[in-house]
Amino acid sequence: MKVGLEIHVSLPTRTKLFCSCKARGDEDGPNSNVCPICMGFPGSKPALNGKALEYAVMIAAALDCKLSKLTSFVRKVYFYPDLPKSYQITQLSDAVGKSGKLELSTGKAIGITRIQLEEDPAKIIRGDEYTLLDFNRSGRPLVEIVTDPDIRSEDELRDFVAELRGILYHIGVDINEELKADLNVSVDGGERVEVKNVTGIKALSDALKYELGRQNALAGKGQEIKRETRSFDEASMKTISSREKESDEEYGYIYETDLTDYDISRLHVPKPVIPGRIAKEYAKRYKASEKAIREQIMLSREALALMDKAKGRHEMNEIIKGIELLKRYGRLQMGYASFEKLLEAVSTGMLIDEKTIGKIEKGESVGSFKRISDAEIDDSIRKMIMDNEKLLKEYGKNNKVFNFIVGKISKEYGVDPRHVSDRLKAVLDEIAK
Amino acid sequence: MSGSIEEFHSKKAGDGYYERLEAELKKLNAELHAFNNITLLNTGGYPFSAKDNLCVEGVETTASSRILKGYVPPFNATAVERLLKRKFTFIGKTNMDEFGFGTFGLNSDEPARNPFNREYVTGGSSSGAAVATSVMKYHVALAVSTGGSISAPSSFCGVVGFTPTYGLVSRYGLLDYGNSLDKIGIISRSASDTANVFDLIRGPDDKDSTSVSEAPKKEKAKKNLFVIKELLKGETQSYFERFCDKLRGLGYAIGEVSVPDIEKAVQAYYIISMAEASTNLAKYTGFKYGYKNSGFEKGYNEFFTEARSNFGVEAKRRIVLGTFVRSSSVRSKYYDKAMKVRALLTSRLSKTLEKGNIIIPAMPILTPKIEEARQMDSVSVYKMDISTIPPNLCGLPHVCFPYDYAGGMPIGAQIIGSHFSDNGVLEFVQEWEKTFKYKFKYDVGAL
Amino acid sequence: MEEREFDRLVAICRLKLSAKEREDIRKDIDDIISYFDEVSKVDTGREKEAYHPVEMQEKLREDKVVPFGNVQGLLSNTKTYRFYVVGPKV
Repeated sequence: MKVGLEIHVSLPTRTKLFCSCKARGDEDGPNSNVCPICMGFPGSKPALNGKALEYAVMIAAALDCKLSKLTSFVRKVYFYPDLPKSYQITQLSDAVGKSGKLELSTGKAIGITRIQLEEDPAKIIRGDEYTLLDFNRSGRPLVEIVTDPDIRSEDELRDFVAELRGILYHIGVDINEELKADLNVSVDGGERVEVKNVTGIKALSDALKYELGRQNALAGKGQEIKRETRSFDEASMKTISSREKESDEEYGYIYETDLTDYDISRLHVPKPVIPGRIAKEYAKRYKASEKAIREQIMLSREALALMDKAKGRHEMNEIIKGIELLKRYGRLQMGYASFEKLLEAVSTGMLIDEKTIGKIEKGESVGSFKRISDAEIDDSIRKMIMDNEKLLKEYGKNNKVFNFIVGKISKEYGVDPRHVSDRLKAVLDEIAK
Repeated sequence: MSGSIEEFHSKKAGDGYYERLEAELKKLNAELHAFNNITLLNTGGYPFSAKDNLCVEGVETTASSRILKGYVPPFNATAVERLLKRKFTFIGKTNMDEFGFGTFGLNSDEPARNPFNREYVTGGSSSGAAVATSVMKYHVALAVSTGGSISAPSSFCGVVGFTPTYGLVSRYGLLDYGNSLDKIGIISRSASDTANVFDLIRGPDDKDSTSVSEAPKKEKAKKNLFVIKELLKGETQSYFERFCDKLRGLGYAIGEVSVPDIEKAVQAYYIISMAEASTNLAKYTGFKYGYKNSGFEKGYNEFFTEARSNFGVEAKRRIVLGTFVRSSSVRSKYYDKAMKVRALLTSRLSKTLEKGNIIIPAMPILTPKIEEARQMDSVSVYKMDISTIPPNLCGLPHVCFPYDYAGGMPIGAQIIGSHFSDNGVLEFVQEWEKTFKYKFKYDVGAL
Repeated sequence: MEEREFDRLVAICRLKLSAKEREDIRKDIDDIISYFDEVSKVDTGREKEAYHPVEMQEKLREDKVVPFGNVQGLLSNTKTYRFYVVGPKV
């Protein structure tokens, strides 16, 4: 099987791609954030949003694309009520980026054909006898990410989306809800089928699953798989054949002469952050689990910033533990100085709860940071066991007593119960011998 | 300011001037059809009109197309806005070939009539702008040229038509024909009026990404002139040669140059302009503005197709041909190639323009009668633009002005300068006006 | 141009031609296309496409919201239902 994607990502700019109307105003009434440009009124002209271009360049750079020196736009002509000018301003051969790649967590690279900037059509509500159109969405900036047909399984699709989501997140683009994609799916010996307008990450996976099942079943029966366009119906979780015949259409692309060439090299954009790559590197260099690092930094700028500062100065496993704690209690905004204190506390093995973090943030003492040695804890454990002979007999049968000792000692020393539990097991094993 | 604008202000039009002007214009318009509508928005200023493809807030703007009947723009074109800010008085929208598609002004439901003789064409596509200027004593017209739409009617109606360097006047608010070719210019009765108005409307505009920030060069009329050998043909040749002799007598040196492939500018122009036009006209689908189709339930394809039957036949021809030349199988042969021809010809013309200005006839024929023009086939009509297309295709500033009269009908020549030499070509015409008096049949609004 | 190709083009353009219009356009479309064919005779050497006749200076718009002041003027051109624009069925 071969799967390629065309992913549409909505950019978080304040204004639309070609006019100064508010781009995000989902709470506003229909057709309130509109002007002659985004409604396609005669006489209006586009003016490119510099911020949107910057986002597109950052995305292209993060996906290892070759950046066009001069980027320009084209008109793609087709007729539909939601397309105000009956052409979409998009990009083709001079798109912002071309020939890039995205590395999956497995290390496999998925080719990126093109990164292009384009305008969103209006929102359309279908009625039985007419449509209702809301142009608030019309002209919102989209980046389309076109991949090569390199994806070979559902796992790879999920992996791709997860890595892409992380990369986009660190650029400032959240695709959780905004992701819209077209899937190109073909199985061996079959024609390519395009599944259009799949919305959301879960639906994408579901659509692929259904479409693979459908195509494999056809292939299994020796039936022909036709080249066609289908759409995904979320309610029934099925793909449905679209009746429109695309072969009769002709987009007739021409250069958008209402705009000019844009010199990308003149834009100052930050160096891309690729969280998957960072996780790999840190795991190797600081001897920690790649998966654990990935989990912490993939969708958290704050976590990555804390990790970047603390790496090398503290144990990576303790950094991960520290970040985990902050995430658990929603305290990732913590400043680095406090985070250092937190890591000190983590290194003592002491019990850290919400209260402890609160104290660290306020700069209050959280008790002695002196590390309580394992020998000291072991001594106390032995003492408690001596006082409580039957424990030996119950060990392995009853958790109650075990938990009682763990609770008591962790409280006494202010140490993480998990650590006490590890020590208790070790002592009991030793005695059992 | 000098010229008739200063004269107008010094004479102080009294109470009732604008009402009288409106009434007189309406009366004359019933015969000449210079205006699609006469709408006075304000009073007290020097009168100006706008071609009907320029948006004026609150005033119906149709580009003489049935598909735009009823479109009331909610904003002003930048050029219109700038004149209104300077207290010019807006008087109405002028007639034109539908969307600018025409050489003679006949592609309008009610074509404008030539004030010198109503049996003759006005020229197009800015037909009404030229006619209005020819009949009004105090007035400037905002007009638009894509491939010669200012020069052609200026030549046939005996007025001064100025087409600036591409990008010097913002196109915001102009209903697009060919975006890489469209230029808003000025038609008036004197080059000094034009120069004054040009200074008010030009300059960069954030709303038009192709407007440039360069200011036109400050320069005087160049004494070295060149005629292009390949463009000296047809009925106007002998008149033009006499005109050249006259110029020599005035101290100009006139040389002759050959510009290979210059005739191919016509094909390149029509390919580019039709390709762009066919995309620009895609937006007219009969439901958001202008003509409103009924029967939403019939489905969008049928609905759009039905609505779009309101285009005139020349618009339909250009949509079909423009769609053809940009279709994927032939795009490089026509569209891409035409863009290269434009690059080539721009560099060839610029080489000559380094040495002096170019002077050529505006039209290869004397003003034809309406009936004669209607008999011509498409290719023959397109070839009539042979002299107006080169400067338009290459975005060069040029002025068309009357230099002679044949059988009572005016004949125009074009002076062409290098990019941003707009002042130089206007200066040339101002010099010419010192020795040659233009003739007009009407002086509506005289004080 | 073949009849079928002509009809396909007309359909792509979403046009409908009356018999008279069809005849008018059909009769010289081939002449116009063969006239256009002559551009291929021009030796354009290594010239690049001139998408604009004058060298353009790129302009990028600042990402700052400026509401259009006359939304009412826009919507009064069109048929609306509860502020939605009404369009043909899809």
